[in-house]
Amino acid sequence: MTMERQAPVAAAETETDEAFRARLREFFTARHPGRKPNDPRDRAAWTKAWLATLFDNGYAGPGWPGEFGGMELPFARQVIYQEELARARVPGPLGAGLNIAAPTIIKYGTQDQKRRWLPPMLRGDMVWAQGYSEPEAGSDLPSLRTTARRDGDEYLVNGQKVWTSHAGDADVFFALVRTGTRESRQQGITYLVIDAHAPGVQVRPLRDLTGGHLFAEVFFDDVRVPVADRIGEENGGWPLARTSLGHERAAGALNQAAMYRRVLTELEELARERGQLADPLVRDRLVDLEIRVRIIRYNAKRTIADILATGEAGATSSVSRLLITAFEQDIHEFAVDMLGPAGLLARTAPQAVQRSRWLLGFLRTRASTIGAGTREIQLNTVAEQVLGLPHDPGLPAR
Amino acid sequence: MSVGDGQEHDELRQVVREFLRQRSPSREVRRLMEAGEGRDAEVWAMLTGQLGLSGIAVPVRYGGAGYGPVELGIVVEEMGRALLVAPYFSTVVLAGQALAASGDEDAMARWLPGIADGSLTAALAVAEEAGSWDLADLTTAAEPAGGGWTVSGSKLYVVDGHTADLLLVVARTPDGHGVFAVEGDAAGVERARLDALDLTRPLASVTLREVRAVPLTIGGGTAAWLAEVTDLVLAALAAEQLGGAARCLELSVEYAKVREQFGRPIGSFQAVKHKCATLFLEVESGRSAVSQATEAVAGRAPDASLTAALAYIHCSAAFTHAAKECIQIHGGIGYTWEHDAHLYLRRAKTSELFLGPPGRHRARLAALAGI
Repeated sequence: MTMERQAPVAAAETETDEAFRARLREFFTARHPGRKPNDPRDRAAWTKAWLATLFDNGYAGPGWPGEFGGMELPFARQVIYQEELARARVPGPLGAGLNIAAPTIIKYGTQDQKRRWLPPMLRGDMVWAQGYSEPEAGSDLPSLRTTARRDGDEYLVNGQKVWTSHAGDADVFFALVRTGTRESRQQGITYLVIDAHAPGVQVRPLRDLTGGHLFAEVFFDDVRVPVADRIGEENGGWPLARTSLGHERAAGALNQAAMYRRVLTELEELARERGQLADPLVRDRLVDLEIRVRIIRYNAKRTIADILATGEAGATSSVSRLLITAFEQDIHEFAVDMLGPAGLLARTAPQAVQRSRWLLGFLRTRASTIGAGTREIQLNTVAEQVLGLPHDPGLPAR
Repeated sequence: MSVGDGQEHDELRQVVREFLRQRSPSREVRRLMEAGEGRDAEVWAMLTGQLGLSGIAVPVRYGGAGYGPVELGIVVEEMGRALLVAPYFSTVVLAGQALAASGDEDAMARWLPGIADGSLTAALAVAEEAGSWDLADLTTAAEPAGGGWTVSGSKLYVVDGHTADLLLVVARTPDGHGVFAVEGDAAGVERARLDALDLTRPLASVTLREVRAVPLTIGGGTAAWLAEVTDLVLAALAAEQLGGAARCLELSVEYAKVREQFGRPIGSFQAVKHKCATLFLEVESGRSAVSQATEAVAGRAPDASLTAALAYIHCSAAFTHAAKECIQIHGGIGYTWEHDAHLYLRRAKTSELFLGPPGRHRARLAALAGI
């Protein structure tokens, strides 16, 4: 593992926003890793190579502290970074570490943990996968049952996690485990980082409805985890699980908006090539998507403007994900509908349209409103935390 | 009052909201509605005089405050929340902006100061039986007569057309389309309030028989004028709809917190929560779209037409949806005459349709977006 890298780019304090943008654009263009490989294994290597390129040249982790390899950019620059990243069409992160585990480590990890984990995560040398959900603990995550029993300087972990994306590539799992009583719910949960290669860890790929193997079940059988790999206090893991780093996500929403802008333009092109733009029904559906994709961008821009003006993300931050997930489902389904029988053809059929990207998207995006909190739970969250509607008295306290 | 951006916009909003809370509460809206009156004289005098709201988007040289679509959007959003009964939308949003967009110095000098100080009400008469703002659909005709012009034809769906002091009329001429100013009580003008859905904002028919008219613009400039007016009106209307939609959501949430069934607030039920949260997504999206639109129109951005149409289409649907859900969440009470929910539904559906059916606006947006 190489850890040498250039000085952080943020050091150039006199640089203007325009010059910063130009420099990013030039770097992303010059070092672009080329087209996404078809084989999932090649894809992981392709992504890792790109993450290493970013890290080694000081272009990784826009919001991260410089000490651990990040750029430590002010928020306005993070926005520029995300805009350029979206424009460059480079690989996204690998695993759930960068977006989900890293903010927790940065905020709550010890100095030793940060040093051990953050730079290799950022460089793509260490792939992180999430171990939250269990067969009996999905939306009701506080009911999770995987146990960790203290044994000297170690925990003995037993149980099962499920829906773990990139489990096959993972080097570590960041997991929520029960250290309290069975009934302790949120008060008895601890945040552990578990070596994926440790004895007693077994990964069993799950075939998803697309036919792929993006996620897996992970079994822990007397897995020994050093206490030094616990983040936060014992039984204090729950509040750490949903940490976000500054307003990184708001900047990320702009990236997604830009990506779907491009996808919709590609669909409009496809409709034009196929002579379907003359059909008023097709046009009307495209107008609907056009309105929505623009509103997603307006919302992202408004969130960012709020953050820049007041330091707070404001009301739009909670709506972005709900809008994007519905949009990505609808655009793919409409594309398949528009193609008619040709929309049914899968990748290897010679007549498949655009290597069946729309059909695959139609299937893949079923997960959009399930993973990382179902749509139903997210709507509850908006209703309760933003609108102040009362919690369901029949459910355990939040 | 001084406005500019950020904090001043918040202050403007607070001033207007507080004024309307005091002077245009529901019982006042209902009093004027039941009496069939278009305004309360005292409220109109304060609103146009002391608060200066009718001059907000009128250029300074004609007695206005010289602000533009962004500030006007804030004002009408608040009026939309309150369902204010007053000839503000007709006079300021429609006719005032139409006059200013004409660029006709004589016409602006003659009428804009009256709009700015509240002494003159005005209406914009474009649509006819076809219910469209397309010039090709218009049959009203203007002809030169005795050194001036006369206009003849039948206009429909004219907001406050039966009471306005001044009518701006779009008509065909021998040299293309033109915009003409007509005194509301001139000889040959026959006008009547239409029995229509919205009880807090009247629509009228205006029939003109060889009515003496002053031309503002004739020929090639008319299409450009109408395009600009359309953008200004759609952006402002979207803001008004946003205000109405946000108010419907507020009413729904307030009620869902206190109304109990099965021994618990109905807002604790997921089905009700999801309705409210979904409206919230639509309202906040509308807020983003409206600010995008009013800024683009104010700055005459290249995408001004597109963003104004987009905001209007989104907010039309969002307001109607919010008004319907407001009734549903209120249950039986929401279906009563006494509850305000139906007043919002009436306004929502009217503002969604009175400029032409939604499908036409969507088709227009498709063209603007290059689809």
